[in-house]
Amino acid sequence: MTTTTKKRWRPGALEYLAGGLLLLLVAQRYLIDVFDVPSIQAGSTIFVAIMIQALPFLIFGVLISGAITAFVPASFWQRILPKNKALAVPVAGCAGLVLPGCECASVPVAGSLMNRGVAPSAALAFLLSAPAINPIVLISTFVAFQGEPQMVVARFLASLGAAIIMGWLWLKFGNNRWLKIPEREHLIGDTKWQTFRLTATHDFLHAGGFLVIGAMAAAALNVGIPGEWMRTIAENPVFAILGMAALAILLSICSEADAFIAASFTEFSLTAKLTFMVVGPMVDLKLISMQAGIFSKKFAARFAPTTAVVAIIMSVLVGWWLLT
Amino acid sequence: MSREVQAVIMLLFGSATLRITLGDTYLNYVKPSMQPWLIASAVVLILLGVLLLLDSFRRRKVADVDGHGHDANHGPKAAWFMLLPVLTIFLVAPPALGAYTAARDTTNAIPTNAELLPLPDGDPVEIYVSDYINRAVWYEGATLDGRTVRIVGFATPNPEGGWWLARLSLACCAADAFAGKIQVVNPPVGWENPPANTWVELTGRWIPGGGTESDLAIPLVEAEQIEQIPQPTNPYD
Repeated sequence: MTTTTKKRWRPGALEYLAGGLLLLLVAQRYLIDVFDVPSIQAGSTIFVAIMIQALPFLIFGVLISGAITAFVPASFWQRILPKNKALAVPVAGCAGLVLPGCECASVPVAGSLMNRGVAPSAALAFLLSAPAINPIVLISTFVAFQGEPQMVVARFLASLGAAIIMGWLWLKFGNNRWLKIPEREHLIGDTKWQTFRLTATHDFLHAGGFLVIGAMAAAALNVGIPGEWMRTIAENPVFAILGMAALAILLSICSEADAFIAASFTEFSLTAKLTFMVVGPMVDLKLISMQAGIFSKKFAARFAPTTAVVAIIMSVLVGWWLLT
Repeated sequence: MSREVQAVIMLLFGSATLRITLGDTYLNYVKPSMQPWLIASAVVLILLGVLLLLDSFRRRKVADVDGHGHDANHGPKAAWFMLLPVLTIFLVAPPALGAYTAARDTTNAIPTNAELLPLPDGDPVEIYVSDYINRAVWYEGATLDGRTVRIVGFATPNPEGGWWLARLSLACCAADAFAGKIQVVNPPVGWENPPANTWVELTGRWIPGGGTESDLAIPLVEAEQIEQIPQPTNPYD
């Protein structure tokens, strides 16, 4: 097919792909039998559902990340973000207000921001705040908690607070060597338009691949956690908060939808529900998987647990202040 | 991973999305309002895939990315995983969630903010499972008393005897489906124990019982007539 047999064109990848697909087609009837178990069937439905639901948001995210790389000069970020890195963190955090995407979109966007010279601390504050405080998420929270509009304020404050604190923590204690900032010279095309395309394609396949891993884990847990556990956990106020945080991490629900889920846990306290909505968009299985893939495992191993702790503390404080 | 393989994966993912979205299959996974966004996403994917293929045919400078040693590490090897949802869609086509999920859900929650509106005219009046639960459990059947209702749902065996008429609702996608269940009382002969996931249209009346004002309460319906039907286009409430 290609005559570009330069030095290291890996022959075979395409042929393996074709051969594998052919094999699977033949084996389809046996596959169907394997999938005929109710739990596996439900799990695979949930897996496909998460992928399909996330797809438009992921596409939106990679188109933005492509546009940032191709059309926005690096100097632009130096102009709009304060020179003082500590000051740049809250500014970047508030910038999360304007990007209507879910968390799947923000990982590639944050990657390309760093790549364009934005300080990691600011890019990370943006990464955490964008999926949590954007207008769509706040509106859906308002709709889900119609009797309790203070929930919207609480969510906004706790999420923004946690994002800014994480940005500052990174500035003080973070090590930029943990971040494998994506190298992209091979994605620079002949034209800006081509750079845009190549970056978007690359980011889609990259982030999407890790989204698959997260979606599979979430689907398995979704089918695996017995419903009765919830009721037991809800009865103790401390367990309720930690339990909702753990659930947010395991279930990996899109931030645009999590308010409806949170509201449906009627037996939990408002603060526990707030914790679910603050932790979920910042730390969950699919995000951890995407962060490990795009930035590095070292990064994810430090960043995700710290974020979870900060998010829980912020939720409890804001919940105690506004929701009791 | 070579550009050709990347392009093929983009094309496969785009066409899998298009395939389920142009029919009704996508309704097994997400809400109807997602359709335009999914079609747009699929078109973007296919476009990016085709352009990438053209790139590699034209042997542009960028096409030999695999010549760079570092690409083996940085390049999206993870992209191989993108084949999993594609294969699941093409080969298995997972069905809508059903009795398994309904039985696992211990609460009988209704969508938030359901308020009490007068029951529309008609005899029998068609009503959703969630609406019925809302009226029966949270308003003690006030608007249902004396009316004949027609409800569409699927059979879910109740481990404690008899069966539920169930339907799942989505907050966003099938990952967050929650179940509504109604215990069927006095089913007609032959309908004592229908197999799980049998879709039916039930005509019957509300009778008190099953508990109120609790998201554990499962209301009752006395069945007059039950007919088997095919799965509705949108399987969720």
